[in-house]
Amino acid sequence: MRMKKGRADLQALLFLLPFLAVYGLFTIWPMLKGVEMTFYKWTLIRKMSYIGWDNYREVLQDREVWEALWHSAIFVVFTTPTMIVLSITLALIANRKSVLQKFYRSIFFIPSVLSVAVASYLGLFVFQPYTGLVNSVLHLFGILPEGSELFWLTETALAWVAISVLTLWWTVGFNFILHLSAIQEIPEEIYEAARLDGANDRQMFWKITLPYLAPITRTITMLQIIASFKVFMQIYIITGGGPLDKTRPIIQLIYQTGFKKNDLGYAATMSYLLFVILLILSVLQYWLNNRKGADVR
Amino acid sequence: MKKRSIGFAVLALLLSFSVILSACGSSGGGNSSSGNNGGNSAASGNDGGAASSDSGSGNSGGSKVTLSFWTLFDGGDGDNMQAMVDEFNKTHPNIQVKNTKLAWGEYYTKLITAVGNGNGPDVGISHTSRLPDLIDQGVVTDLDETAADAGVDWNSFNQNLLNATVVDGKHYAVPIDTHPFIMFYNTKLLKEAGLLGEDGKPVFEQSADGFMTFLKTLKDKLPAKITPFALSNSNDDPYRFWWALYSQLGGNDLVADDLKTAAVDKEKGIKAAEFIQNLYTQGYIKKNDPDFYKNFQSGTAAIMMTGVWATGTWESTKGLEFGAMPIPKIFDQEATWGDSHTIILPVTKKDDPEKRKAALTFANWIADNGQIWAKAGHIPSKPSVLEKEEYKAMPYRSDYAAVAGTVKFNKPSTKNWQIRDNVSFKFLNEVWAGKMTPAEAMDKMQEGVQKELND
Repeated sequence: MRMKKGRADLQALLFLLPFLAVYGLFTIWPMLKGVEMTFYKWTLIRKMSYIGWDNYREVLQDREVWEALWHSAIFVVFTTPTMIVLSITLALIANRKSVLQKFYRSIFFIPSVLSVAVASYLGLFVFQPYTGLVNSVLHLFGILPEGSELFWLTETALAWVAISVLTLWWTVGFNFILHLSAIQEIPEEIYEAARLDGANDRQMFWKITLPYLAPITRTITMLQIIASFKVFMQIYIITGGGPLDKTRPIIQLIYQTGFKKNDLGYAATMSYLLFVILLILSVLQYWLNNRKGADVR
Repeated sequence: MKKRSIGFAVLALLLSFSVILSACGSSGGGNSSSGNNGGNSAASGNDGGAASSDSGSGNSGGSKVTLSFWTLFDGGDGDNMQAMVDEFNKTHPNIQVKNTKLAWGEYYTKLITAVGNGNGPDVGISHTSRLPDLIDQGVVTDLDETAADAGVDWNSFNQNLLNATVVDGKHYAVPIDTHPFIMFYNTKLLKEAGLLGEDGKPVFEQSADGFMTFLKTLKDKLPAKITPFALSNSNDDPYRFWWALYSQLGGNDLVADDLKTAAVDKEKGIKAAEFIQNLYTQGYIKKNDPDFYKNFQSGTAAIMMTGVWATGTWESTKGLEFGAMPIPKIFDQEATWGDSHTIILPVTKKDDPEKRKAALTFANWIADNGQIWAKAGHIPSKPSVLEKEEYKAMPYRSDYAAVAGTVKFNKPSTKNWQIRDNVSFKFLNEVWAGKMTPAEAMDKMQEGVQKELND
């Protein structure tokens, strides 16, 4: 018995080995290398000098870093709840039995197939002044007086709205699919039973659908927070982080520091700062989930 | 329950690890999505370069040299450069140049990293303003010894362009052009406003008031939907205009001679910025024009300013009647913004003198045949090219060729591009948007330049 177990472990290890090797080579090793970089002055062509904790000291005092982190954080705070509500709403719509069911499923999902560049350029065209779709529609309905324009891409607040709307439209599809399949997993009998008991639609939604969606929603929330913290490319294309760096997220600052300013060591330090923040958030959320999970069961 | 939660913990950890790491990766990866071609061609360029350096002489068995050449040109520029390379290969059987086009946004990063790990090209392109940074990082080699061998005559170049490529008394690059900031005008619209002279040139006094009156007349005389002056509202082109005016006022470079101290000439900077800011507030420039090139191209803008590279584009636009001229002398002396493309020899693993000599022969030939390169609009770097019939036969170019002598280059600071992108653009954009006074912007710029220099 004992022998057998040992052999099974060995076999498992054998099967895991290719993955572990690749994982180690492409994930663990670069991570360690990244830690090493944070202690050096490290340019794109590796002119190195050991500088100890300097990068860390600097990163904690760097106003630009905290500002950029703050921008990423506001983006997370504003988009994540909206994303969840939107995704559940769309899933409910697409789950309703109607002739348009298939149509809904496709149109809600289609945007998420686009690459970030395509999505961002669409955003640029839609939000640009004079000829953009949004301003044209606003003019059409007289909401925006003739001769005046809303500058969605160059006013900080409006730019954030544009970026958020674009991102939600572009990425909601994936979460929508997750929610939709979770809704379809809910046994029909429960609804039937509830209906027999005289429950109305709203009650069924709050007492059955939503609680059943809770686990997947928690997972989506966690993934969404991490994904939103990574926001970069669409902002880079749409506003370039401007005006006055007011829409620059942390990833853009990391990119600029590493590849434009040629300071990979400092960029790595910022990455690890972000890493620690995300790690804390993940652990916190895991802990909250666990407590909630304990309550329900 | 317990087991599940541990599983979830591990999953959460793994997820956050990989997601965060892919976040860091996505900065590079995401970027390549905008320049995918660049990525691929860079890779194939690597292979091509490596393969050619090993088997280059295998073909003919003789002393044939194969050079890998990385460029950052796209569009018309890219086609013209390819045409020149083809022509050179045809006329120089012993030297074969392989042109690898990289995406311009990624070019420098790729060049620096490739040279760093020994996979760089034999020949490359650099902007004059980027050269000091490349020298500082040990990416490019100095050329003096090889230039003598290859028969490059430094005296045959426009000295204003050449001097900007000399650092610490050494030549680091062969300039092939300059591409200054000039003015284009729509002849049809100018005629309509009664501002076109008999000679087909705009009529106005070359002064600050003269230019303002000119714009005012354009605005008054032309239909309301016509933009008097097409210009973007942020980044490059208004910055170039500001730099030109600042230089016309005799403004010092933003960096002092020691290359360590910020030296924004506040008074002159304010004066230049105020002048331009007025153009926006008085409605001569359309507010937040989403595409000022298109505006001029479609004939709905009377004048526009940008680099000479637009000449080729306007020429191929059907129905666009336009002229080109140096930007007006608005202040004390003629000056404009400009940069140069230069050919450089990056550091390579094997410092092969034969290759280096061949490379400089190629570079010199490109400069000598600037009339082909000028098709895109650039001004050739050798005065002798300006005398060629082929060059003279091309319209517009001679109207602004003299500008090469008045281009005001940046000092050889390693931080030129960072200062431009992170400081000048940033604060001047605010001035154009009317959210910052010119005086405030100059103070912020002085501070910002110093910060970049300290970093």
